[in-house]
Amino acid sequence: MDKKFIPKITVFHCINAFSQTSWSSVGGNKFEIKFIKLPCSSMVKDVFLLRAFEAGADGVVVLVCPEGQCRYVEGNIRAKKRVAWVQNLLDDIGIDGRRLSLSNIASGDTAAATQIIDDAVKNMAELGPNPAA
Amino acid sequence: MIVAEQKPLSEIKEIIAPYKKILILGCGTCVKTCFAGGEDEVAVLASALRLACKKDGKEIKIEELTIERQCEDEFIRESAPAVSRSEGVLSLACGAGVQALARRFAKTPVLPGVNTTFIGVLESQGIFTEECSGCGNCRLDIFGGICPVTRCAKKLLNGPCGGSQNGKCEINPDTDCAWQLIIDRLKALGQMDNLRKYIPPKNWCTSLSGGPRKLVREDHII
Amino acid sequence: MSMNAQSRLQEILSKGEFAVTAECGPPRGATPEVVRKKGELLKGYVDAVNVTDNQTAIVRMSSIAACAHLLQMGLEPVMQMVTRDRNRIALQSDIMGAYSLGIKNILCLSGDHQSFGSQPDALNVFDIDSMNLIRAVQTMRDQGKDMSGFELNGPPRMFIGAAANPFADPFEYRVIRLAKKIDAGADFIQTQCIYNMDRFKEWMKMARDEGLTEKVHILGGVTPLKSAGMAKFMNNKVAGMDVPEPLIKRMAGVPKEKAVEEGINICLETIAQLRNIEGVHGVHIMAIEWEEIVGQIVESAGLAPRP
Repeated sequence: MDKKFIPKITVFHCINAFSQTSWSSVGGNKFEIKFIKLPCSSMVKDVFLLRAFEAGADGVVVLVCPEGQCRYVEGNIRAKKRVAWVQNLLDDIGIDGRRLSLSNIASGDTAAATQIIDDAVKNMAELGPNPAA
Repeated sequence: MIVAEQKPLSEIKEIIAPYKKILILGCGTCVKTCFAGGEDEVAVLASALRLACKKDGKEIKIEELTIERQCEDEFIRESAPAVSRSEGVLSLACGAGVQALARRFAKTPVLPGVNTTFIGVLESQGIFTEECSGCGNCRLDIFGGICPVTRCAKKLLNGPCGGSQNGKCEINPDTDCAWQLIIDRLKALGQMDNLRKYIPPKNWCTSLSGGPRKLVREDHII
Repeated sequence: MSMNAQSRLQEILSKGEFAVTAECGPPRGATPEVVRKKGELLKGYVDAVNVTDNQTAIVRMSSIAACAHLLQMGLEPVMQMVTRDRNRIALQSDIMGAYSLGIKNILCLSGDHQSFGSQPDALNVFDIDSMNLIRAVQTMRDQGKDMSGFELNGPPRMFIGAAANPFADPFEYRVIRLAKKIDAGADFIQTQCIYNMDRFKEWMKMARDEGLTEKVHILGGVTPLKSAGMAKFMNNKVAGMDVPEPLIKRMAGVPKEKAVEEGINICLETIAQLRNIEGVHGVHIMAIEWEEIVGQIVESAGLAPRP
C-alpha cells in the first residue's frame, strides 16, 4: 500500500454506558474517531448508521448498556435489533455488514471501551477502506 | 391496512438502473404502518442506494419526498415539482398508489419499490396478517368473524379439510387452520349450528374474478 | 343412498357384501401401459379401483383418461376429482364426459394444496369445495340439472363418494362433517388409512350414534407399512395421519428383512378388525406404488375371489 490506511470510526453511544470525557486515548496516526452521544442507545436510527457510512466512516461502533440494565428497560434490545437489520442491509449494499458492530459496556468501564475500539480498528485493517466513501 | 414489503435492494437497483436522477416518493398511510414506504423508509432506502451506487461507481442523484397518500390526487399534486425534476419516480406506495402516479405523470416513468401483498391487520408489534381478500360478498356473520375465503388455504366454505392437524393448516405449521378457529369461536358463541348448515358455492362475480371493480357513489358526485 | 346409480360397487354394497377397493395412481406421462399394468395386478381382487387426480398436486395423466383405460380392461374405476385445479364449469363438464365414457363412480375431494406439488407456482382454483361438488353431482344425477338449473341431455348417474379423516382435527367436529357430506349426497365414504384403531372405533361409534351408518357405506382405508421409517414419516410428515407409537415400535422391533412381512401382518389384522366393526361395509386398500401387494393382501384376508 502506498498510502497508509487510517480507519475512520464513528461511535454512537448511550450516555449511560459511556462518557467521552473518560476517554483518554487519541487515535493519532492509527485511527480517527468521532463520537455521537444519545440519551439512550434506542435512539440510534437505521438512517443515522447509514449516513455515518455516507459521511465517510469505515467502521461504526454502537455502545449500549448491558442487557437488563437499560435505564429505559429495552432500549438496548431495540438498538441490537436495528444494528442487526442494518448489518444485513450493508451486506446487500456490498460494503460488508462487519463494518458495523454493537457492544454492551458497563458504565465507566474504560478498559472495555479501549478494547472494543481497538478491535474495531483491527477489523478495519482487515476489511479495508469503505468502498462507498 | 394494505400491507406491502419493500423489494430487495438488488431488485430495486436493477429497476432504477436506467436513471441518473430519481425521486423516491413515500406514502404516509398504509406502507408507513407496515414499515415499507413511509418517510423513514424513504430516508433509509435513499441512503442505501447512494452507498450502493457510490460503491459501484454509478452516478445517481436521489431526491426524497413523502406525501400523505399516493391514492389521492389532492396529495399527489404536491409531488409534481419534485417529479418534474426527476427522470424517474421510485414509488414506495402500494400498487394502487404507483398506478395513480402513473396516471397523473404521463411523461415520467413510475417504478414500484415495494411488493404489495395483502389487506391485513397488525396482529402484534412487527407482525402483520392477511385477513381479507375483498371478495365483495361478506359473510363473516356465519363464520364467527373469521374469513374462510382468505384464511383457509383452500377457500373452503364447508371446511375443514383432512389436512387440519393440531389447529394448524397443512401448508405451513405456523399457519392456523381457519376452520379450527371458526369452530372454536362458534363454540364460544354458542353458534355451532352454523356448522351443520350446508353453505352453497360462492358467487365470485363480486370478486376480482368478475373483472376489476369500480365503486360509483352518485350521492358524492356533483 | 340413491337407487339412481348403476355401478357395480354400488350393487355390491347394497347387497351387504364386504367391498374391496384399491387405488391406482396414473403415470407422470402419457404412457397408458403403466395404467394397464397396474390394472392387471388388481383385476379380480377388487370391486372398483380409485384413480387419483393429480395427487399431492403432482402433475400426472388425468384421472378421467386413466379411468377410461381401466374401463377398457374390464375394471370398474372410481374417478377421483379434486376442486383444486378446476372450476365448477370444468368439473361439471368432466363429470358428464366421464359418465359418457362409462365411468360410474366418483370420489369428491378438495385436494392437497398445490404448494406440496411439482408445480407450486400454479394458481389454484377452489371455486367450490368438496361438499359443493358432492351436492352438484347429486343434483345432476337425481334432478338431471346442472348447477345453473339447466336440464341436462342425459344426467350422469354417478355413485357418489367422499373422503373422511377420523384422525384429523378437530376430532369432535369430524362426525358433524360426515353428516354434512351425507346430507350433501355422499353414498359411500372412504377413510384415511387407519393405524390408530382405537380412535377409528371411537369415530365409528360416534357415527353410529348419529345414525349415519344407516345412511352411508363406510369403507375403512388401509395402507401396508413397509418399514419403521415409513411409519415415522407418515406420522410426522403427512397431514392428517395418526400412526401410534406402539405400531412404530412394532415395525422397528423386527429385523429389516422382516419389516415388509410385519407391515402386511398389521394390515391384515386391521382388515380383520374392520370386518367386525358395525357400520364398516368394506375396505379401501391404498398400496401406493405397490399395487402388486394388493392381491396378496386380499387373498390372505380371505376376501378373494370377489363376488
